[in-house]
Amino acid sequence: MQAARQNLEELPGEDIGHVPSDDARILVVDDLKSSRMMIGAVLAAAGFTNLDYAGDGIEALEKIREIKPDLLVLDIVMPRMDGFDVCRKVRQELGHDFPILVQSGITNADERVRVFDEGATDLVSKPINAAELISRVRVHVEHRRLLADLRQYQRRMEDELRTVEAMQVSLMKSDEDVAAIAEPRGARIASHYQPSNQLGGDLWQIFPIDDDCFGLLMVDLSGHGVTAAINAFRLHMLIESLTDDRGNPAQWLATLAERLYQLLPVEHFATGFYGVYDRRNRSMVYASGAAPTALVLRNDGRNEELDPSGLLLGVSDDVSYDARTVMFEPGDRLFLYSDALTEDFKNVENSLSETDLANIARQALLDDGLNGFPDRVKAQVFATPEDEMRDDITLILMEAR
Amino acid sequence: MDYTIDTSDNCATVKIQGVLTFDDHEKFKGVVQSISTEQAEEIVINLAETKMIDSAGIGMLLLANDKAMKAGKTVKLAGVSGHVAKVVELSKIDQLIPVI
Repeated sequence: MQAARQNLEELPGEDIGHVPSDDARILVVDDLKSSRMMIGAVLAAAGFTNLDYAGDGIEALEKIREIKPDLLVLDIVMPRMDGFDVCRKVRQELGHDFPILVQSGITNADERVRVFDEGATDLVSKPINAAELISRVRVHVEHRRLLADLRQYQRRMEDELRTVEAMQVSLMKSDEDVAAIAEPRGARIASHYQPSNQLGGDLWQIFPIDDDCFGLLMVDLSGHGVTAAINAFRLHMLIESLTDDRGNPAQWLATLAERLYQLLPVEHFATGFYGVYDRRNRSMVYASGAAPTALVLRNDGRNEELDPSGLLLGVSDDVSYDARTVMFEPGDRLFLYSDALTEDFKNVENSLSETDLANIARQALLDDGLNGFPDRVKAQVFATPEDEMRDDITLILMEAR
Repeated sequence: MDYTIDTSDNCATVKIQGVLTFDDHEKFKGVVQSISTEQAEEIVINLAETKMIDSAGIGMLLLANDKAMKAGKTVKLAGVSGHVAKVVELSKIDQLIPVI
């Protein structure tokens, strides 16, 4: 990289006597030994010393597989296999990034176009002009390095995103931990969390409150990407630290909202649902700050929508929420979900209503109840894996016993 | 989205057309900029021709409101209907930005 930068910065003819060396591996292919030697000498004089040679197309392909050069300087008219065939085979095997610089005596315009059609990156005419050959070799070597750097950078970023994704998933409680809290307190829960491929800011949590009650929380931070993910980690720490008033949803959500106001920049906020379930009378007291409408799927076939209205979390330090109550019968289910399931701003006509989603959820429950429920809902809602990866997805289904 | 700004007396009306979503961040900076530079002390953001708004769009309105307040100005929302009205009702942002 450094050597190549030096080359570019150096003006021709300025630095006399010293030529910076470049370790790019170049394979020179020509059936005439005198041509090979001449090209090799020109390149060596320009600092390219990592040179290999081949006398025809077949030998060239063998060498390419063996030594994996950075650049090919290729003749067209050769015995056994010509340069056109080499171009095609190289493109098949190595893709479009690998630079092929064709050097040829062909002057016919159609033939010159054919050189590019067969996959050459660039063309220099014979007889070789040394300065032109060197300039073009440098351009392509540099280009290849930049591309390789970019690819490497992209791979590293993707690896890091996947690592953060795994960390986000690990913030959520395992199915076993969820069951250990919910089941002694009269409820079964199926849950699913999946960060988007660009990271996002969904978070859900379940807290034991006493022997009869547990709290169920779902929060969605606005925005996507690294910022939302970092805020999700801060939110997680905040949630863990707010241990007072967990049995009082309106008060607890207000405290969370006020603390988020101090934490988030002015244009960022969150939506949230916090409900406390009590097994003694199968009641849930809940508070909502503009969370997606929670659905109650009654055992007798009716659907109910829980009032989701309430100030966004993190937009004010003076906020209060209404405490609302919903009663359950055995077998009734509460369905919480992130807006990724209903909203589709790219294709507005694909957005789902609460009724649509309730019907999808009911259908998914018919097959095997809570087992595999999230996967069946996702399969119904998202047409393609790409749609599924656009935003964080959280699904929580609670069944009262 | 597209927007127009009309100033009369002491009031600047910003009309937002189309959808106000994540992709409009760059354009909306122009609105925020104008709020700072306008002489008018009252800013009315008219959403009558705004078809849809997402969470990023809400964030932009909050940002505009914050910038105005810091400059000693007031922001009000007008023409709220359809999808936008649903979002305002759900999120209660009328508690922060008055709706007229």
